[in-house]
Amino acid sequence: MILKWAPMSEAIIAVGAATLALALVVGGLAIAGFSPWSVIAVGWAGIAGSPLRLAICAQEAIPLLMCGLAATLALRSGVLNIGLEGQYLLGAVAAVAVLTLGPVGSCLPWLALIAGGLAGALWCAVAVGLERGRGVPLVLSTILLNVIAIHVVGVCVQGPLHDPATAAPQSAMVPDGSRMPLLFAGTPLHVGFLVAVMLAVALWLMQRRTALGFELEVIGLNPLAARFAGIPVGRRELTAALGSGALAGIAGAMQVAGVTWFLSSDVRSYGYAGIAVALLGRLHPLGVIPAAFFFSGLDLGARQLERRLDIPHDLGDVTKGLALAAVLVAGALSRRLGSSRPGTP
Amino acid sequence: MINDLLIVVVIAQTLTAATPLLLAGCGELVAERGGVLNIGIEGLMLTGCIAAFAVTAITGNSWLGLLVAMGAAMVLGAGFALMAITARADQIVAGMALNLVAVGVSGTVWRALQSHGVTELPASAGFSRGWFGWSGWSSFNDLPVIGPLFFDLYGLSIATAGLLLLTWWVLRRTRIGIVIQAIGELPDAAAAAGESVHRWRWGVVLFAAACAGAAGAFLSIMRTHAFVPEMTGGKGFVVLALVMFGRWRISWLIAGCLLFGLADSVQQQLQSLPGSRALPYQFFQMLPYVVALVALAGLSRSAPGPAALGKPWPVSR
Repeated sequence: MILKWAPMSEAIIAVGAATLALALVVGGLAIAGFSPWSVIAVGWAGIAGSPLRLAICAQEAIPLLMCGLAATLALRSGVLNIGLEGQYLLGAVAAVAVLTLGPVGSCLPWLALIAGGLAGALWCAVAVGLERGRGVPLVLSTILLNVIAIHVVGVCVQGPLHDPATAAPQSAMVPDGSRMPLLFAGTPLHVGFLVAVMLAVALWLMQRRTALGFELEVIGLNPLAARFAGIPVGRRELTAALGSGALAGIAGAMQVAGVTWFLSSDVRSYGYAGIAVALLGRLHPLGVIPAAFFFSGLDLGARQLERRLDIPHDLGDVTKGLALAAVLVAGALSRRLGSSRPGTP
Repeated sequence: MINDLLIVVVIAQTLTAATPLLLAGCGELVAERGGVLNIGIEGLMLTGCIAAFAVTAITGNSWLGLLVAMGAAMVLGAGFALMAITARADQIVAGMALNLVAVGVSGTVWRALQSHGVTELPASAGFSRGWFGWSGWSSFNDLPVIGPLFFDLYGLSIATAGLLLLTWWVLRRTRIGIVIQAIGELPDAAAAAGESVHRWRWGVVLFAAACAGAAGAFLSIMRTHAFVPEMTGGKGFVVLALVMFGRWRISWLIAGCLLFGLADSVQQQLQSLPGSRALPYQFFQMLPYVVALVALAGLSRSAPGPAALGKPWPVSR
């Protein structure tokens, strides 16, 4: 490969940043009077205290991993797709439409994933179209489309997808026969986990072994050089954008088909978190896997801390932000020292 | 009574809805003219919301709440500046980190307040309509048209108008404005002329943070007297779109904010129409954002913005 990677130093940066953020928050809690050891022990028990908890951690990591892959694909190619949040939601809407309005069957969840991917790509295509046709920067249009998507969910769960059995703004439940099959009986972990991991490996192979991956890499590093080299930059960027939109849409579809089984107006989206996961994973498709587990582990551990020690679980979000800040600064510093890949933020 | 006319009500609502956008937009415009794109405005506004609410609820002093809101946002803004200016990290990522931290911190503070039984402002605290509640003006509030559209506005709306005028003048007519322009267009030239690019950029970022903090305070201790987690609801992101829509000019920014405020006000009126029950309320809430997107698309594409926007300086290693 012409493009030098330094996976070892990248990994050190990411792990160091995550550790620093954790240390800062645990240290802050120690100042507030909580014993660091009990904080760590309780938090760890919430993540890996039992096989069931580990399975929940993996289940929570699925949407983060999928959105992280979506962000990796876009950002590595220099496409600033901040709209994963909205693309995820549209994917979830499309999947619920297929699952609750369509027939019941074991192939239905897979159809729902396809529908979700198409919806996510379509929502991204709106932003790309506005950029190409009207010169609206992708950053701005995707941000606005994120807000619009939340309201689209609200309109759908009160309108066409509304469950007539309840007054609450929510869709009907996905019938048992149309849900994602489980990976292990007795745990909530569904086969989407395997799909997500396989997609991560596929994305990695695509980047390392195919001409398309190489071209996207070059565009991300230097679009002008790519153009001089004869790469159709516009078309490749479109591929990256729609691909990332589709991945985010599939993430939303997986979550409704495998975990929540319905959609309500206060649905949680993983789009912004996915971007943070991708950056913590140093924009490496395989690095995104541990980063996703780190984020889902933080969520689970923080919720356990809230239950047991009455520590607000929002500190998990603070830790994520600090980790992102630390990895960003460490990346910038190491780039200056010349040991990091120039394209990585 | 003329003051009950729909048009007067809608314009008054528009001015109120536009105030936080104008305030945060004014700061972000200055920062972007100085070459710094801070997508963490949303987080800074949220910080302002919770800081103003917490301090006002605990001390009962609204002015202290407003000041602490600006100060707290400036502290987070300094963190952003440390990353994006001093360490020369990617500005967009730094802004995202800022948003994450702000959501977490505001949620943590909110839960801590709840667990101590502080969930609402004391009845006497928080700003009310009419120029920071100075009772000397209250008799003017009933004047036809200019009563509701001028004297009965929130004090911060009037202050924002003054700030916009001042910012316009500073950017247009003073040396400070020229230097800000220079560090945003051609920082190398500014540095060659003896200006410290980093120090000026720190300045514009802190100014933007203070503005965003005050805008957050407007939401939590003026327009409503309450805090709700993530109550900014994407307004900080709309501010970014409006600054760009306004082509980095104060006059156009005002036009954009008023247009968005008008769309927001009209959608509130539409929701209260008798036939509107047929549609989910989210449909109406969505409208201002659709208007913003269409307005952006309607602009000609010749609005490149400051040349060094979003680029760390110095570029070399």
